[in-house]
Amino acid sequence: MTSKHYDTIIIGAGHNGLVAAAYLAKQGKKVLVLERRSIVGGTVVTESFGESFTVDSVQTGGMLRPDIIKDLKLSFPTRASSTGQKGTVLSLSTEFPFISLQPDGNHLTLDAESIKRISEKDAERWPEFVRFMDKAAYILDTAYATIMPRLPKNLNIREGYGLLELGLELRLAGRKDMLNFIRALPMTAQELVEEYFESEIVKAAIASVAIHDSTLGPMSAGTGYTLIHNWMNRGGLSHPNVGKAGEITNALADAVKAFGGEIRTDAEVKNIKVEGQVAKGVLLANGEEISANIVLSSADPKHTLLKLVGAQDLPPEFVWHTQSIKMRGSVAKVHLQTNGNHGIPEGTLVIAPSIKYLERAYDAAKYGEISEKPYLEVTTSENTVSIHFQFAPYALKNESWQVAGSKVEKLAIDTLSEYFPNLQSSIINRKSITPLDLETTYGLTEGDLNHGQLMLDQFLFMRPIPGWSNHKTPIDNLYLCGSGVHGGVSGASGRNVVKVLK
Amino acid sequence: MFNLKTTPFHERTSALCQPQNWRKWAGYFAAGSYEHTLDREYWAIRNAAALIDVSPLIKYVIKGKDAAALLHRVTTRDIHKMKVGQVAYTGWCDEEGKMIDDGTVTRLEESTFRLTAAEPNLRWLTMNAVGMEVGITEVTDEVAALSFQGPNTRKVLNIVAESPVDELKYFRMMKNRIKGVEVTISRTGYTGDLGYEIWMDNNRDALKIWDTLMEAGGDYGIAPVGILAMDMARVEAGLFMLDVDYTSASHAWIEPQKSSPYELGLDWTVALDKPGYFVGRRALEKEKREGSIWKMVGLAVDWVGMEKIYKQVGLPPQIPGMAVRGSLPVMVGNVQVGYASTSTWSPLLKTYIALAHLQKPYFELGTDVRMEITVEHHRQHAPAKVVKLPFYEPEWKKR
Repeated sequence: MTSKHYDTIIIGAGHNGLVAAAYLAKQGKKVLVLERRSIVGGTVVTESFGESFTVDSVQTGGMLRPDIIKDLKLSFPTRASSTGQKGTVLSLSTEFPFISLQPDGNHLTLDAESIKRISEKDAERWPEFVRFMDKAAYILDTAYATIMPRLPKNLNIREGYGLLELGLELRLAGRKDMLNFIRALPMTAQELVEEYFESEIVKAAIASVAIHDSTLGPMSAGTGYTLIHNWMNRGGLSHPNVGKAGEITNALADAVKAFGGEIRTDAEVKNIKVEGQVAKGVLLANGEEISANIVLSSADPKHTLLKLVGAQDLPPEFVWHTQSIKMRGSVAKVHLQTNGNHGIPEGTLVIAPSIKYLERAYDAAKYGEISEKPYLEVTTSENTVSIHFQFAPYALKNESWQVAGSKVEKLAIDTLSEYFPNLQSSIINRKSITPLDLETTYGLTEGDLNHGQLMLDQFLFMRPIPGWSNHKTPIDNLYLCGSGVHGGVSGASGRNVVKVLK
Repeated sequence: MFNLKTTPFHERTSALCQPQNWRKWAGYFAAGSYEHTLDREYWAIRNAAALIDVSPLIKYVIKGKDAAALLHRVTTRDIHKMKVGQVAYTGWCDEEGKMIDDGTVTRLEESTFRLTAAEPNLRWLTMNAVGMEVGITEVTDEVAALSFQGPNTRKVLNIVAESPVDELKYFRMMKNRIKGVEVTISRTGYTGDLGYEIWMDNNRDALKIWDTLMEAGGDYGIAPVGILAMDMARVEAGLFMLDVDYTSASHAWIEPQKSSPYELGLDWTVALDKPGYFVGRRALEKEKREGSIWKMVGLAVDWVGMEKIYKQVGLPPQIPGMAVRGSLPVMVGNVQVGYASTSTWSPLLKTYIALAHLQKPYFELGTDVRMEITVEHHRQHAPAKVVKLPFYEPEWKKR
């Protein structure tokens, strides 16, 4: 059964898919977004698990690039001063505090004033650190906005121009900052923070942001890069707009529709139709075939290429590289509905007492075990408490996620209750999301929130795989536009792909 | 330490190999020749029956629901069209359409194939089998093979085989028995003559096959033949060899070292009309559309012209007694337009011939070129002509 024909089909209604759809619809293209779930948003979603139990289920809060907001005329609250705006240094805002929880209840908010309490020296260094991080985040952001060339193939003129711009930005960043930025990328988060601070609490709190969403410890090489990446994404240490993740994607979905695009939910793509190495459309799980001139996939590269296309239509070396993309999700989410008496302050709270604590939490993941003493990041929104749990590796050595889910839930609640004794009794309802759920419900291969680990061998022109960093695939008219491609944060990938299509 | 292996026939071949000129072939000892000169072995191929131990050939058994799909994807032939018992010669390419290796595919059963190769290909096959239900097993050591080549071979096989081989057509395979030992016999070879290849399990019974053939072949001029005489015959037959006449794309150092199947004259093996993806399809389609820049051709060196060059130094033409695996520049005027990769004296054709790679437009039939020869330590260029391949094709080859 064949239905209508579209200019472009976009697989997945996450933020990147919707950004791409909105830009294309705005150009007057006939676009159709297909989402397997019954709600849009992908991982940038606010969903309800019961009455008065509505949370940012996967990504906490978030932002879109300001240029996207402007281009698509979205009305969405952005962080007052965020990266992507040339030259702005992040205000040391107390609007979204970032707090390191302490067993004695003497929690430390990371700002110059509070840090002074434990170390005068660190407080002095704090502004310089924030300045450098903002600058580094800005440079990274510029890199993400640049479509990467398909190295080692020869540069074409357009790719060369983008790189030239990037090079210019790097140069304009100043010799010292540029050098420090390049030097910071392969460093460990531990080494990076130790260059600035002496207090273990401060160092560990910052280092926790480096390992957030990654299967890496603060002593892993390349966590300098992930720290800058997460800093850029959040606009600092803390999450902006907690409880409002869904507003971003709903605003994007509204924009798609306003520009005349269509969005279909409960529409799972089973296959991408390929004839003679050219994408012709998609086959839905319900048997419906929809044809299109161009197919964009915002699903992760492994799922798109190995499941939706299939190895049989792809060159062997390409398949080999795609298989080798490191996914390794190890995040679990525990959402709690409470009666409001949980006693947890607002902001982004972390249990990260020391660098060693974080590294040991990560050690468990290396061996396929759940961290007994996990790194937690906690946010609240009205009566709900959301706990981000690391490390809960997708591939467990001795158990299955069908049974391990309740273990993580208990560990998360017990660990947090040590800091907030009233939490336990305030709980009304709970909802856990395991790495397996992230795969089965949210379509993330191995529960990897980044569509492929953020590592130095999987970024820039090596993302998703070397030689294929410009959204193209060996299948003509099939493009990748999700987080698995370089630039896949805050909608950059979804926007960049539109430039490639021109 | 790396030691060369011996084939299942080593007990016999080592006893027969007078010059002890062992060659290394895919990690095995292979007899270069059994006598000190090649004449008798060469003429056994062309006039009688030659028994050649080809056990070192690398062999894979590819088995399972997707066995045909895997070979269809890897090779350039339309494997789905092959019938059980059919053998197909094929090359296989990388994604840029450059040759990795070549060999034969035999459809032993509906979903069981045997693939031969010059070099190990397990990794490449495995890489291509992602998502497929297929087992790939290397059976080089487990399967012994004898190549039985020459116009008398059919008669000899009919004496020793339980079922006659009269009906076995060119590039077909049959199951058979010799002295009660199970074998498969394919009508294939590397000499361009009437010939068969006999495949059997590697055990003591393999020697029984050797002995039986040698005994029955006694009245038909059978001779054990080494790979040096076979090398002369294969050039006459226009058959090339990996690492001699072309470089595998998988270990070429630079792009120009690679060859496409079109450049090697394998146009007939590239089934662009077959359905679905196969490795290199796009690049091959493009080359087919735009034409190739290189082509492998036959060169026949002009005897009279060569004689003149030798005469200048007071010598009659000197011809090597075996195939020369060395690159020889091919010129037009003072410009090099290609190179010969293997050259040999053809005792049958009484011509000095070569397999040569020439650039467009010099690969057209009938083009006059000159090939380098060394005359009394001096480089000279003998006149030669581009001729059709194969140089020699007896009417009984396919009959």
